Amino acid sequence: MTGADGGRAGRLARLREGVEANALTALAVLTSAALVVAFYYPAATVLIEAVVVDGAVTLRVFADVLTDPFYFGELARLLSGEPPAAVARSLLSPDRRLGVVGFTAYQAVLSTVASVALGLPAAYLLARYEFPGRRTLRSLTIVPFVLPSIMVAVGFVATFGENGTLNAALTALGLPRVELMFTLEAVVIAHAFYNAPLVARVTTAAWESVDASAVETARSLGAGPVRAFYDVVAPQVYPAVLTGAALTFVFTFGTFPIVLALGGFELVTVEVLVYRLVRDLSYAEAAVLAIVELAVSLAVLLAYLRYEARNATNARGARPLPRRSLLPPAPTLRELLPRAGLAVYAVVAGVVFVAPIASMVLASLTGGDGALTLEHYRFLVERQRTGAAFQVRPLPAIRNSLAFATAATLLALPMGVVVAVLTTRRYRGRTLVDAAAMAPLAVSGIIVGLGLLRGLVFGVEVAGWRIAAGGAVAIVVAHAVSGYPFVVRTVSPGLAGLDRSLVESARALGASRARVIRDVEIPLVWPAVVAGAAFAFAISIGEFTSTVVLSTGADAYTMPVAIERFIGRRLGPATAMGVVLLVVTGLSFVVIERLGGDHRGL
Amino acid sequence: MTTDESETRRRSARSRTRRRFLTAAGAAGAAALAGCTAERVDDGGDESGGDGGGNGTDEDGSDGSDGGEEETPTLTVATYTNFIDAPSVSPGEWLKEEFESRYDAELEWATPDNEVNYYIERAASGAGIGADLYVGLTTEDLVRVDGELDEDLFAEAGDVEGRDAVKEGLRFDPFDRAVPFDTGYVSLVYDGTATEAPETFEGLLDDEHAGALIAQNPGGSSTGRAFLLHTINRFGDGGVASDGDGEAIEGGDGDPDYDYLDYWAELQANDVRVLGSWDDAYSAWSEGEAPIVVSYSTDQVFADMEGADLEEHQIRFLNDQAYANPEGMALFADADEPDLARRFMSFMLEPEVQGEIAQRNVAFPATDGAELPSDYAELAKEPSDPVTFTYDELQGSVDAWVEAWERQFAGN
Repeated sequence: MTGADGGRAGRLARLREGVEANALTALAVLTSAALVVAFYYPAATVLIEAVVVDGAVTLRVFADVLTDPFYFGELARLLSGEPPAAVARSLLSPDRRLGVVGFTAYQAVLSTVASVALGLPAAYLLARYEFPGRRTLRSLTIVPFVLPSIMVAVGFVATFGENGTLNAALTALGLPRVELMFTLEAVVIAHAFYNAPLVARVTTAAWESVDASAVETARSLGAGPVRAFYDVVAPQVYPAVLTGAALTFVFTFGTFPIVLALGGFELVTVEVLVYRLVRDLSYAEAAVLAIVELAVSLAVLLAYLRYEARNATNARGARPLPRRSLLPPAPTLRELLPRAGLAVYAVVAGVVFVAPIASMVLASLTGGDGALTLEHYRFLVERQRTGAAFQVRPLPAIRNSLAFATAATLLALPMGVVVAVLTTRRYRGRTLVDAAAMAPLAVSGIIVGLGLLRGLVFGVEVAGWRIAAGGAVAIVVAHAVSGYPFVVRTVSPGLAGLDRSLVESARALGASRARVIRDVEIPLVWPAVVAGAAFAFAISIGEFTSTVVLSTGADAYTMPVAIERFIGRRLGPATAMGVVLLVVTGLSFVVIERLGGDHRGL
Repeated sequence: MTTDESETRRRSARSRTRRRFLTAAGAAGAAALAGCTAERVDDGGDESGGDGGGNGTDEDGSDGSDGGEEETPTLTVATYTNFIDAPSVSPGEWLKEEFESRYDAELEWATPDNEVNYYIERAASGAGIGADLYVGLTTEDLVRVDGELDEDLFAEAGDVEGRDAVKEGLRFDPFDRAVPFDTGYVSLVYDGTATEAPETFEGLLDDEHAGALIAQNPGGSSTGRAFLLHTINRFGDGGVASDGDGEAIEGGDGDPDYDYLDYWAELQANDVRVLGSWDDAYSAWSEGEAPIVVSYSTDQVFADMEGADLEEHQIRFLNDQAYANPEGMALFADADEPDLARRFMSFMLEPEVQGEIAQRNVAFPATDGAELPSDYAELAKEPSDPVTFTYDELQGSVDAWVEAWERQFAGN
């Protein structure tokens, strides 16, 4: 070996070290840039209108909204300076007013409770039992999450309506009929339909990351199975349940089309009013309401994050707990009870999840006269063959959806991991970074859409030039920005709970920070990474508002856009496209899980 | 809604030179890849409906092709998506082929999702309009445009051949910018096998029709809004919007003490369902959740296309009335091709084209003498007494009307 060779090798090694050492910083910068371009700046162009009216700064609109009982109910009276005692008295009276904001929060709490109640048993089943098709079922749990609201509305009316499947079944069993349509209950169940899968998926990932040896140690030290669950398993699963709950609250607090489709205007939420105000160009009031939404959602997210930070648990590895078979090995009460519970849950899940989806599929196969027909699918084929260049066709929609979602996921994963790494450390101002990172979840989609129009599509003037962006790349970045918080939220708890000594020994042995993340930390939280990827993919597939705003050419439309375009007097063509979306996304999730399933590491 | 002069919304008048994409050579590749465009601010606007990301897919023929005067001009027509792309029928394709076969021009459709609001935003941001005319304007759209922008978004129609044929009652723009090309009527559609719809507004309050009506959110759906406006026309607005124009709307019911909010309170007590969009309402009605729905008076045309039982698709004009929603077309003040756009407008008013638009948009012609099949009127029903609010009546009122209704209906 000559000195020159040694020098070159050394230089190369140093170069690699340099790249590795700065990889994290570079990724963090890129993530921030993506956030600024596709979220912060656009959203700011609209939110600023809350305080800048006709070029002058004013807090009048804010004051008007905060002191308006229509929005804030009894709270508004407090804010307008009435004595607290009088307000408290009215709050306790039966005819108290919640106001639109209060009602929106109220239904979001109910929806969150329902989603957790329906999501937990599914997580328990998927994480603790072994049965044929378990992994496929686990991949498919997230499918309801991507369905456009019109599809869900069709499925729900067909299932829970006056002449729906449920009433037919109840009548057949000699039970009383239910009047569910256009009630708060229907809206809450629909929200659970959307969000219970999210709770289930996040919780399953956490449950599967519980290290079996910790449980075995507890058991060998004399703890009973219940005690071992409480002391070892629960602390690791609990944060994930709360993650799901916090995300569900934020989603259902910003709920928009589904409340009116299944509930009616008596159940109006803040987002519905934001939509109307934007449509009527009352931007100041719309922006104020969006800021109120943002404040409430961020408060919930940050409260949860504080909890998460305080309750980080130590996990050392990931040898999952052995799964039990669904058939009881011995007919003891202890074996039978949980399985009986799961059987009851299966019936409920059948009504809430399977029946609406089956109804959608049936609707796509039913003609105007009620007979089975393939005409709606024929419409899709026909549109594909003869559609004009400026019309939306099914195949490009499928292709675009998959391409955007794949690209957005590949972008959201590094973004999410970087932010997760940054937010699992303790430093001053972390709350601010947390809030900034989670903001895309908490801002009204309608406002972001309008902001993207102003900020990206119309562009900005810089020194006599107008810089604008639209089309595929802009869509992918916008989707990644919407999806990456899920990666953060699924990966972060696991990273925080990792045994620091693992990282420290790797660092002591000379590995760079980026290398440790790649070779040590990510493999240890791999199930969470896969779950995050599935969410990022799902968010992208289901996204509508930003997509239509940014698809400035006539050819960047996606499956949800096609569904919306195919809505006519009969929903047949739209539901057929919806079934296509169901199948395509279902298959995609199975593929994602298989790709991520068994090989660990990147 | 404020109409104050606002500093931030001023734009310098732009010379209408032909657009040039001037991309710095070094950044060209990267910018195209990222769907970025950079153009001189003082150039004319983008001609292709906000096509910001054409990775070399810009086909307006004005880049680099040195055609001089012989170049085929492109007419960019903005409209709503259903006009060119509906699952049943839409006039867009036929109009494009017909127009291009007659004139040496290329017609390009632009259908931004926010419809007219998109162009209001564009004008306010100084990004150039990028279209020559808009097809599908309503009276309300014009009121909104004029309330929001200081400059003129639309130009006067001016010399458009055949404009005289437009029916007097449909001319909704006092400033002669929008020329009506078709009209629709919002009425009740009911399932005759399940109920007999009432003849009057008051009839909807009867016990036998409790929970029978599904309407739409006036804040988010045009049919919902039309039905709300119809109730205001019938019962008056009780001076809700009097700070707008100092005039209370007198209802057709002749009772000054009973206004539309009183009527809606009773309707709500009788369990009216106000859902979100027209799709929500119509699909719930189709599933038999309630026998009556607010929809269009052309419902039977579609029902007939699908071979449905017409008995289940009956039209009811309350008090023999329906709310008319005439649609107009108007030239953008910034149009690159104003003459061609005017030619297109006259083309849209020709008897044959009027008949085609009516059938393919499932609506009614705006002109006298449109060529329609003799049996068209059998399925497409017209009320004997169409009602609609004028531009002046809507101006300064419509937002207040919707808001007052929202506050009463959802006062939880």
